[in-house]
Amino acid sequence: MPMNQALKGKEYQQVSFTVERDRVLRFADAIGEDDQVFRDPDAARAAGYPEQVAPPTFVTVMQIMTSGQAVLDEDLGLNYMMVVHGEQEYDWRRPVVVGDVLSAVPRIADIYAKGPNEFLVIEAEIKDASGETVVVARSTLLSRGTAGER
Amino acid sequence: MAAKVRFDDVRVGDQIPELRKVVKREEVKAYADASGDQNPLHQDDNFARSVGFPGIIAHGMFSMAHLVRAITDWLGDPGALKSIKVQFRAVVYMDEELVAKGEVVSLDPATKRARLRVWEEVDRAGERQLPIKNSEAEVELS
Repeated sequence: MPMNQALKGKEYQQVSFTVERDRVLRFADAIGEDDQVFRDPDAARAAGYPEQVAPPTFVTVMQIMTSGQAVLDEDLGLNYMMVVHGEQEYDWRRPVVVGDVLSAVPRIADIYAKGPNEFLVIEAEIKDASGETVVVARSTLLSRGTAGER
Repeated sequence: MAAKVRFDDVRVGDQIPELRKVVKREEVKAYADASGDQNPLHQDDNFARSVGFPGIIAHGMFSMAHLVRAITDWLGDPGALKSIKVQFRAVVYMDEELVAKGEVVSLDPATKRARLRVWEEVDRAGERQLPIKNSEAEVELS
């Protein structure tokens, strides 16, 4: 079953996320990141950061929360079992650090078909507590073989 | 809070040091838990087979995290990585070796920024696969 194209442009509920030290450490461990700037607040301060820095792709933790709303949206009709990650884009304005309180309103930026596959583009402009943009995340999910007959 | 790489020391065509990693099942499980992406495609071989793969595959973001590490290791400062856009083009199975690579494609003296072409290779039975290809990053040098 193809996805519902009418949902292009749909915005979902705002998601908030506090960057916790423990979560950053676990993430650094999982990706094998041993740079102390990601592990030790003193090392981060010595490097000029206000706090322990989250690895750049830590943003994915929040993104999985934000894209979940679209992925599970029954009106969209995405078969999650057929989904693989197609593309990922990040545009950082500053690094994320421990203690950041981030929020984003996820939006379906595009839905399109190419050959047998469909593509779902989800965008989120992630802001900090003062309303400044920290990073813009854009992910393209590929739904294998669902373009089908319309 | 500045890259350890100096703009004046970099030329178009320079390669960043490659970063290798053999992908282990335990690491992919740890990544699922740390990231919150619990898709069974990355944990359950039977499920992976039911959707057409020979076994579980690594998360695309797991591969991308490794690529980003190669870039920030080279830069010596995570804040010097300004943007990245990757395309996931091949799956990665357990016990395969991911090789992250990058090459400088342009330099802007006005901003001291460099554009890199970045990619990831896996050797599978003598054939080179590209789990990440046609991808680029922008970095700010000192």
